[in-house]
Amino acid sequence: MTFFLAQTDSTAGIRLSDVHLRRGAQAVFQGLSLHLTQRRIGLIGDNGAGKTSLFRLLCGLEHAHQGSVQVAGCDVQRQREQLPGVVGLMFQNPDDQIIFPTVEEELGLSLQYRGIARKAAIVQAQQFLAARGLADWAPRAVSGLSQGQRQQVCFLAMLMAAPQVMLLDEPFASLDLPGQARLARELVVAPAQVIISTHVLDHVRHFERVLWLDQGQVRSDGPGATVCAAYEADVQDRIAQQLDAVPTSSTTAGAQ
Amino acid sequence: MGTLYSEIPSWMHRLPAGLKLLLLALSSMALLVLSDLRIQALAFAAIALLYASLGAASRPTRRLVVVALIASALVGGLHAATGQPWLGLASGLRLVSTTMLGAMLTATTRFGDLLGVAEWLLSPLARLGLPVERLALQLGLMLRFAEQFFVQWQRLADAYRVRTGRSGGWRLLAPLTIHMLITARNVADALAIRLKL
Amino acid sequence: MTTEHRTETRAQRIAMVALFAALLAAFGMIPKIDLPLGVPITAQTLGVMLAGCMLGARMGFQAMVLFLAAVALGLPLLSGGRGGMGVFFLPSAGYLVSYPVAAAVAGLVMRALTGGGPSSPARLAGCAFAASVVGGIVVVHAFGVVGLMLLAKLSFVQAAVGTLVFVPGDLVKCVLVALIVHTVARGLPDWRFGGRHL
Repeated sequence: MTFFLAQTDSTAGIRLSDVHLRRGAQAVFQGLSLHLTQRRIGLIGDNGAGKTSLFRLLCGLEHAHQGSVQVAGCDVQRQREQLPGVVGLMFQNPDDQIIFPTVEEELGLSLQYRGIARKAAIVQAQQFLAARGLADWAPRAVSGLSQGQRQQVCFLAMLMAAPQVMLLDEPFASLDLPGQARLARELVVAPAQVIISTHVLDHVRHFERVLWLDQGQVRSDGPGATVCAAYEADVQDRIAQQLDAVPTSSTTAGAQ
Repeated sequence: MGTLYSEIPSWMHRLPAGLKLLLLALSSMALLVLSDLRIQALAFAAIALLYASLGAASRPTRRLVVVALIASALVGGLHAATGQPWLGLASGLRLVSTTMLGAMLTATTRFGDLLGVAEWLLSPLARLGLPVERLALQLGLMLRFAEQFFVQWQRLADAYRVRTGRSGGWRLLAPLTIHMLITARNVADALAIRLKL
Repeated sequence: MTTEHRTETRAQRIAMVALFAALLAAFGMIPKIDLPLGVPITAQTLGVMLAGCMLGARMGFQAMVLFLAAVALGLPLLSGGRGGMGVFFLPSAGYLVSYPVAAAVAGLVMRALTGGGPSSPARLAGCAFAASVVGGIVVVHAFGVVGLMLLAKLSFVQAAVGTLVFVPGDLVKCVLVALIVHTVARGLPDWRFGGRHL
């Protein structure tokens, strides 16, 4: 079975229409509608705002009980089998998602959805690594790699699957500076549409579009610099209010 | 985790995995069925020679053969004590012979090659709809989780020691199980995203 | 069941079966403890009982089969770093082969006792203890005895006496299983023991 990348124009991007999502008894999204076509999009907001839920929704891990989710022309809820080639997700903790004990096997798995046999996939993985100057990584045990290296393996695995949309959930959180710089460089040249959820705002400040999610709603949506600045100001205000509300013997001056 | 496969090459390494597996199956069945002491003794001598001919390649499996020798000595002694020394000897010889056969296969055949044979043998079942390719996936995942178990145990042990000044020991087994269950749930999510299941 | 739900459930099943096979492998690497009188406790049957109690009969069975397949293919996953086809010819092979059945029986007993629905952690622990005794001790030793009789040509009496030596250690393991189940029930309240939820 030959696999064709879905014949959509990539400007079709991501479209959420009136999405309602519940987790248990709690409403996560109520009537969320978004059309995301920009190549680089940032997702910021407090923890619990729904960033991870949004990502899980886009991957088909969460199911909206109302509304529709389309990624690159593919209906997430109805065309499940096509998803591996359409969207990829990188979790924050590499140990939560690495499946095989060696690097080449882990990368080889990314080709499974195309029906490529295991041995052939491993050969392709070796070639992929060699092309990036990482040929010696291929037979290495994942457990022998540092956390940053394991994170890199997850990213490489996602690149191998060549999805049209790449979702990265707080990818910079556990990387050292060189690791962050390396990932940032990779993302500049990545051919897919990339959405990054992060608390390190500097990495998305220059993005064409950043969404600020607050309690399941889009609080602000626009150019990276503007939205990031607005979010930062809001955080400062809230912290200042919380500190002012707490009676202390020595009040911190200059909170506002 | 070590492996029982020996990197040191021997003549047996060159034989194809499927052939070795077939020979093992046939010869061990024959040994289990034929109980005549002379046949067992001859077979033992032949197999021991073969095993010895592997030389250094047999080293990873020698422990297993030692276990078999001890077991056969116990069995032999038991039978001798109950007045059936020849039965004990035949049983003991068979025990060590079959174990050595298995050990020779293991020491000279790569895990991946044996897995390939296993998948090939199971492939008729694939036509019946059984997910045979999943065997490799589940084995890989199993090994990954086994490694993670100890990594996670070490992390919990360190945290426990820092906070209580003592070693956690068996107390950590339950929290560790919870951690692994949560990890498995997350990995399942990653599987659901990446694979055609 | 919708398509998405089926994919997730399938993924969960794959991961859980692999996890409990891995636990057995990990337990095999834990060195033996010797009770007084030199009776050894190896942790492996602990994993068998856990697989049955936590996953239920079907997935517990699959997990044990996966583990045995890995051992047969040459991985040194048994206590003492043993593995490969050779181990299936040792007198102890009966015990090995019992694992899938033992886990399945433990799972069935667990389901039967708990009714498959939620219970208090204490009650779950008690059921787990019972399930472990039936699956982890009775079944394992029954197979073990048959194995000893067939492979070592021991008489029934000899085999039975030999196997009873390990029962005290196994009872300790059943208690451990109960404790683990108790803690997991508190830490993961939505976990359905006996395997009804997947």
